[in-house]
Order: sequence, then structure tokens, then C-alpha cells
Amino acid sequence: MPEFPKSEESEKAPSIPEPKSGDLVQGTLEMLILKTLALQPMHGYGVALRIEQVSGGVFRVNPGSLLPALSRMERAGHVKSEWRASENNRRAKYYLLTAKGRNALEAETEQWDRQAAAIRRILEA
Amino acid sequence: MTWLRNLTHGLRSLIHKPSVDRELDEELAAFAAASAADKQRSGMSAREARRAARAEIGSMGAVKHQVWSSRWEGTFDAILQDTRFSLRMLLKSPGFTFVALLSLALGIGANTAIFTLLNQVLLQNLPVEHPEQLVTLGETSSSGVAGGIDLGDYGLFPWYFARQLASDHGPFQGIASYCSFSDKASIRLPGSASTDAAILAPVTLVSGNYFDLIGAHPFLGRAINNTDDATPGSGAVVVLSYHFWQEQLSANPNILGKTLTVNGTPFAIVGIMPPSFHGLKQDLVAADLWTPISMQPQVLSQASFLTRDGPYFLQLFARLSPQAANDKAAFAQSQAWLDQQIRTGIRANDATQITPAREGEIARHTVPLIPAARGASFLRSRYGASLWILMGVVGLVLLIACANLANFLLARATARQRELATRLALGSSRIRILRQSLIETLLLSLLGGALGLTLAFVATRVLIAYVSNGEGYTALSPTPDPAVLLFTLGVCVTTALLFGIAPALTAARTGAGSLTSNTRVSTAGRSAQLLPKSLVAAQVILSLLLLITAGLFLRTLQNLQDQDFGFDSSHLLIAWINPKLVGYKPSQTPALHQSLLERISAIPGVRSAALAAAPPMSSGNWSSSFKIEGYTPGPKESMNSVLNRVSGQYFETAGIPIITGRAIGDSDTQTTGKVAIINESAARRFFPKGGIIGRNITIDIDSVKGPWRIVGIARDTKNIDPRQTDQPIMIWIPLAQIPPMAPVAFVGPPTPGQPVPQEENQDRFASVILARTTGDPAKTIADLRSAVTQVDPNLPIIDIRTIEQHIGGFMTQLTLVSRLCGFFSILALVLAAIGLYGVMSYSVVRRTSEIGIRLALGAQAQTVLWMILRESLLLLIIGVAVGLPLTLSLTRLLRDQLYGLTATDPITFAGAIAVVALITVVAAWLPARRAAKVDPMIALRCE
Repeated sequence: MPEFPKSEESEKAPSIPEPKSGDLVQGTLEMLILKTLALQPMHGYGVALRIEQVSGGVFRVNPGSLLPALSRMERAGHVKSEWRASENNRRAKYYLLTAKGRNALEAETEQWDRQAAAIRRILEA
Repeated sequence: MTWLRNLTHGLRSLIHKPSVDRELDEELAAFAAASAADKQRSGMSAREARRAARAEIGSMGAVKHQVWSSRWEGTFDAILQDTRFSLRMLLKSPGFTFVALLSLALGIGANTAIFTLLNQVLLQNLPVEHPEQLVTLGETSSSGVAGGIDLGDYGLFPWYFARQLASDHGPFQGIASYCSFSDKASIRLPGSASTDAAILAPVTLVSGNYFDLIGAHPFLGRAINNTDDATPGSGAVVVLSYHFWQEQLSANPNILGKTLTVNGTPFAIVGIMPPSFHGLKQDLVAADLWTPISMQPQVLSQASFLTRDGPYFLQLFARLSPQAANDKAAFAQSQAWLDQQIRTGIRANDATQITPAREGEIARHTVPLIPAARGASFLRSRYGASLWILMGVVGLVLLIACANLANFLLARATARQRELATRLALGSSRIRILRQSLIETLLLSLLGGALGLTLAFVATRVLIAYVSNGEGYTALSPTPDPAVLLFTLGVCVTTALLFGIAPALTAARTGAGSLTSNTRVSTAGRSAQLLPKSLVAAQVILSLLLLITAGLFLRTLQNLQDQDFGFDSSHLLIAWINPKLVGYKPSQTPALHQSLLERISAIPGVRSAALAAAPPMSSGNWSSSFKIEGYTPGPKESMNSVLNRVSGQYFETAGIPIITGRAIGDSDTQTTGKVAIINESAARRFFPKGGIIGRNITIDIDSVKGPWRIVGIARDTKNIDPRQTDQPIMIWIPLAQIPPMAPVAFVGPPTPGQPVPQEENQDRFASVILARTTGDPAKTIADLRSAVTQVDPNLPIIDIRTIEQHIGGFMTQLTLVSRLCGFFSILALVLAAIGLYGVMSYSVVRRTSEIGIRLALGAQAQTVLWMILRESLLLLIIGVAVGLPLTLSLTRLLRDQLYGLTATDPITFAGAIAVVALITVVAAWLPARRAAKVDPMIALRCE
């Protein structure tokens, strides 16, 4: 009996995009947001702009990751939000650092320093 | 507190989803505006800036989705969406949903029903404090009144010894006792007129410390205490069950302190027990009344057992010390202390010099402490094994149903490839698709489970009614308790995973590519069909296992029913009466018996009538040791015989043939010589060369001592159990020749020189009426009842049954198991046939174009038919090849349940294989024929 050729489905679905070099690890992003808000209350775009500027354009935070992070942090009690008039007189949601957020910033900075130092030591060894 | 805020915020945003959504929109708009303004400042035109900002942000919807799914309520919301979607999908294919729900409801319902019983009979602890500390002293499966045995034999103890242990309980927290049986007594309620019919209800005699030691607290009033039980003959108090209080006394709260009568003696009602309490002994018929053991003569209408030499009728239980309940060494100490007490007690009972052999026997005597956390249960010993077997059977049925559903869903996942590919292409994640698939199956199984629970409730009611054998109120309840609900939920989830995981994985593995490629499956990939086919093979294996199990049980039942019982097991009606309950004295029995026999013999259609202490086949026995003239028993030889006292025409009525000599007749009276009939086995054993006729027998019960001269030999009959293999010795004596007076029982050895005190002989009562009928005995039931009523309207008929019902009563458990197994195996077979049919049909549909090509190239219809059929036959052969060894090894576990056949009974095995083969061929034939009828032109054009 002749064998008929089989039609195998070999096509693969498009894979989920890999993180690009400019992207931030989740925990790191939250630390940067905390640090940024430590200066003064800001709205979402303000945070994004400041991170981009201070990092010299290395980190570009788009709303797709900024807003979920802010939402998470708000839920965790690290920031709180209120609606204020922005510099160009539009209503904008401003985020404020809470006392808990300040503690979290300290703790995360300390941990980051430790890890960064450790990584540096390994790379220079 | 973070989680609490998280929860409240989450709930709030779920409820106010639109406003949360609007807020996000606004924030995003502000973001875009700020970004645009910024860009404009750096020199872009307003339009360019806006567009650049938009591009940077990307899809607003995607951002919102990301924010939403970063919180738990997002996941929750998505699950809700999936559930809604799944419900829509299920409603879209009502046929599939119906079949799936039906098989799940049957499978889960059967499991729940059996588990409800299993849980109550085998798993539930008594509703008392620290049930794990409770132990019984010896086995509690036997019950009755016995003499001439050692302490703790058959788990029975005499009153004085129970009293001794109650006051000196050594390392135990206490030792209490209760009467080993709960006979029905005649009860008159407070305020009832003397003309009202009395109620028959089971009464349990308990020691004063019984309730205290079990740790059961009354619902109302007080329980029986040590003061009540202090002195024999005093303490006429009664505690009622909740059920009795509800049913008979309309839950009257002012009933405490009122008086009801038990067999004519007034008892004060002192307490009501809570609904869940049925006593330590979990009998089929739940106890209704409890009275102190001190009232034994009144409650049992018998001579006092409460003497130093009283008979063995109590069962004992104890509460271990907390250490002994947890620690083996402390437990062993308690056991050692108990054995010490028992051995001392036995030595004290053996008045005569104790021989070294006897001493050795006493030193080895032990009464094991048996855990009684779940109470002592007749049901457990009778139905335990059956319930486990049934649990296994229904588990297999559910597995078969799961295999079917898995196959359906697999086929559907393939059919839904296009839809899934669309969803993937639109950005749905694989996890989401997997989750949605699982939610769909979970939804199915939970809905099926809910239906199953309803079904189980109905089925359990029917099962309980069957198990209780028309006894009315039982302690078993069909209402599911938390354990049952949890079990059902567990079964639902497991089921969903079992049948859902493979299809869900298949669905999630779908490539998005299948959307664009013009998929035309010309031949089914072998691997794609591997899973469905293995599932079908598994179904064949399981159905074979179930069919063989059912076959073995059905054949066992048939063997038991069709066997030779030694008596004519048809056309016989049996009625149980108890004249004692309505105040008859032994001296009144001859007249009563005479008129009963006259009335019943006169019923048209009754060929002959007789009275006896027990019918042929009886669960309880009157038995005793005896001596036979001219035979010296060997050392340790058991000289025990089952006794029966019968009226003339008993042998004729019961249909027991007399082999030699004559039967007991109406001419055997008080004035003629005492005669007895013995059975074949006894004759063979004592006088193998013949010559037993004319010898004298003396029985070691004072009231019927004899001597009795043997005048006939009767055929051996089954006596206790249809499975019985060792034939006991049986002796029948004439009811009319029982002496009117007998020495007072159980008062100890006679004082020399004084006449032994005499009392009326209680053994003159008959307990059953037998009537041999010419036609169907069931038609004579009403006539028999009215005949008894004509003799005495107060004389209670406790039960009335045909011999078939009576014998069936000994096989209820087997009948139940074999019928249920039969039912479930048919169900399994139908499910397996549907599964096979479905898989083969689907495979034919998938291969339509291939078959078309084959036919176009010149293949014969026969060849195509055979090609499809061959696949199913291969599955059958694989199924049988794997199933047979598996079945052989599993049915060995059933050995003890079978009768008259082995666990490898070739007829059953061959029959089951034939049935499975037939069903397979039929289920495969239809799709195969369809394949052979494929029109090549249509097949090639299709799709």
C-alpha cells in the first residue's frame, strides 16, 4: 500500500519579542521611579522624561511599562496619586512618594549598590 | 495591611470598572499631550509632534491592557471574561454539552453516591469528644446471650464482670458496657390509651457510665448515670433518641419527667440525645431508647441476667488514657492489664481444679482492644468490602467517561484550530488560550458535578432503602455532609484536569500559521491519532475489567440462589411474632399455638402450617452443647448443636426431608415420650455405621435438658449463611414437649439439700409461623395477617416475608454489589462504545479525501471497509491483551467475595471478552461502512 506524504504543520507562531537592551528590569524601573519622585511629585510623562534625560537617553520608558509600574507601586502603597493642573494647564495625574515609598527607595538603593559592587568585583577580578 | 488595601482597591476598581477606565484614558491623553507639547517646544510642528507622541506611546488599548493586567483584578476580570466566553462556547454546541454533562453527571453522581455511604459507614468518627481514645474489648460483630464460654469470647461478657471493670478500670479512663443486642420492645407513649396499638422500638441496655464515657451530651434533660444503674430492678428511666422524640412525641419539649411503658413497666423519660448520636454501636436500625442495664428483666422480658453466674450478653468498651491513645507502649500496658483481669476472672470462674492444659489455655487467652473511634458497626463488617469494591468500580466508570470527553475535546480542539490561530494572531497569549480551555472543562465538570450531586442524593436514598431492607429509620442519611461536598469538588477538579489537560495543551500548541496556510488534511498524521486511540484502548481495558467483575458477582449470586439449601426454598411464607410483648405467659402458649395453627391451616391455599423458634436459615441461633448416649467425645471435640423447637408438621411445612425414621408429629405431646430429630451430618459423625435412632440426647440447657430420644434423621440444611460450608449439628425437639416448669436460670449452683427453685419455662414460646402455600406465598400475606388478628388483635407481627425474600435478606450485600456492578459495567460499555464510534467516525471524516483517492485509484470498497475495521480490531486486541493480565491480577482481590467459582472463571472471562468484542465491532462497523460508501468524486472535491 503506497504511503501518502504527510502534511506537517511546520510553521511557527511569531515569538514574543525579546527584551531590548534599552529596556529595564522590572524591579530596577520601580527603583528609578521612586528616585525620580523623591525630588518632587510628577505626572507620568514627567517621570518618563526625567528618567530619559538623566540617563542621557539610555533608558526610554514608554507608558506601556511606566503606567503598569506606577499602578503596581500605588497598590503597594509606595506612591499615591492625585489629579492636579499640569504646567500647561491640563488635568494630569500626579504621583507622590509616600513614607513607605521612601523606605523602599532606601532599601532598594542599598541592595542595588551591593549587587552592583559585587558584579563590578566579579567583572574586574 | 497591604493585601487588604490591595483587595479593597481591586474590588473597587472591578465594580467601578468604567470610571477606572476613563481615568486611565485621561491619564494617557495627558501623557500624550505633555509629550507632544514637549516635542513642539523642541521644534516640531504641532501635527508632527502629536503624531510622534502617539507613535511613542503605541496602542492605547495595549497600554491600558498592560496596566489592567498588572493588578490581580485584571486576572480576575480576564477569568470572568474567559468564563463568559466558555459558557457561550458550550451553548453554541448544545449536543456536545448535553452528552458531556450527562456522562459527567452519571460518573460524578455515582462516585458521590457511593462515597456518601462509604463515608458514613467506614470513615466517619463518632460525634463525641476524642473518639480516637475509644476501644472495644474484643470483636463486637456477634451478639446474643451465651453461656459456657470464657470471658470475652465472641466479645461477650457477663454482668458481674462488667461491673467489676467499671469500678476498677486500671489504666483506662473508664470501662462501660451495653447489651450486645437491641431487641424491639413494646412501647406505650405517655398519655396513650390502653386500646392504642403499642409501638415496637429497639431498646438498648446501657451501663450507668455509658454516656459519660462515650462523651455524649444529651440534647435535653440528662443522660443515664451511675445512680440509675446501681441496683438490679431499680432505675426505671429512659433516654430517647432525637429521631424517636421527633417521630413519636412530636418533639414535645415538656416530655421530660413523663412516663412511658416498656413491655408494661413504667419508665420515666429523663433525656433526649442529639440527632447525630446513635450510640457506640452503629447498627443498621438505629437505637431509639436507652435504659439502664439494671432494668434488664423488664426490658428483655426474661429472667434476671444480673447475677454472679449470669449469662454472657454484654459488650464492653473503654476509653484509653490520652497517653495510651498516642503511644504504643502505653497501649500495650493497657492491653496487658486487661488480659490480666480477664485471666484472673476466668480462673475464678473455673470452680474445679485447673489442669495444666487449661492453665496454658487461660494464659494465652487475650481480648484485643479494637479501635472504636468510628463506633462498632455491623454495617461496616457487612458492607465494608463491598463499598470499597463499588468505589473502585464507579471510579473506573468515571475514568471511562473522562476518556470520552478528552476525545471529544481533542477533536474539537482540532476543529477549532482556525479560531485559535485567529486569537493568537490578534495577540492572545498561549497561556490565555490554555487557561480558557481549562476553564471550559472546569465549567463542564462543575456543572456535571452539580447535576451529579442531585443524582447522587436520589441514588443514595434508593441505596439506603435497599440496604436497610425495609427496616424503616436507619442512621444512614443521603444528605451530603461537608466531607462529601469536598469529595465531589475534588472529583470535579480532578476530572476536569484529566479530560481537559490534553485537549488544552493541543489547543495552546496550535500554530498561528494554520490561519494563512490553506490546511487540507489529506491524511491524518499517525501521531495526531495516537492519543485518541490510546484512550479508546484504555476504555476497552477498563470495560473489560468492569464486565468481568460484574460477571463474577452475578455468577456468584446465581450460584448462591440456585444452590440446594436442603429444604424446599419456594412456596413458603414466614411470619415473626412475639406473644411475650403483649403479656402472654408460657402456660398460655399451648392454647395460643393451637388456635394459631388451626386458623392458619384453614386459610385457602395454605397446604400446611407450623410454628417454630426459628425458620430454616436464621441469622440468630439457639444453640447449646449436648451429650449423646453411646458416644464419647474426643478431647477438645466441639459438641455444640443448633437447636430448634417445632410444632408437628414443621418438617412437612419447611420442606425438610426426613431420611430415616419419622418426623415430629402432632402426636408428640407432654404425655408421650420426649423425642428429637437430628440431622444427617450428626448421624454420620457420631454413628457412621448407623444406629443413631433410638439413642438419647441430653442438652446442656436446664429448661430443655431431656433426655430426648432420637426418632428420625433429617436432611442437612443451610442454616446461617448461604455460603456456609461447614455443616453444624442440628437438633429439633417438639414445641409441645418442652417442660412447663424449669429451674430458675442463672442463680448459681444449687444449694445441697434444697429443691432447685422452679419458674415457668420461657422456652415454650414459638417465634415464627411457617405456612406452605400451593400458589405464590406473597398472595397469602394478607390472609395470614388477618388470621393472626382473629386469634388475638394485639399479637404483634414483627415481620412477614416469603422464603425468597428471607433468603434474599442473607444476600442483600451481594445482590446490591452485583446489580450495581452490572449496571455500571453496562454504562461503561455504552460510554466506551460511544468513544470508539466517535474516534473512528472522526478518523473517517478526516481521511475522506485519502479514502477518495484510494477508491479512485481502484481500491475495492471491501478493502476500505477492512482498513477501517482493522484499526478498531487492533485497538480491541491491544485492549484485551493488556486488560486480561490486569483483570486477572485485580479479580484475585475478589476471591473472598465469590462462591462456587474461582476468580479466573473461564466462562465469565470468555463471556466478557465476547461482549466487548461484539460492541467494538458494532461501534466500528458503522463508520467503516460510511468510509466504504465514500464517492471518490465528492471526496476529492470536498474542501
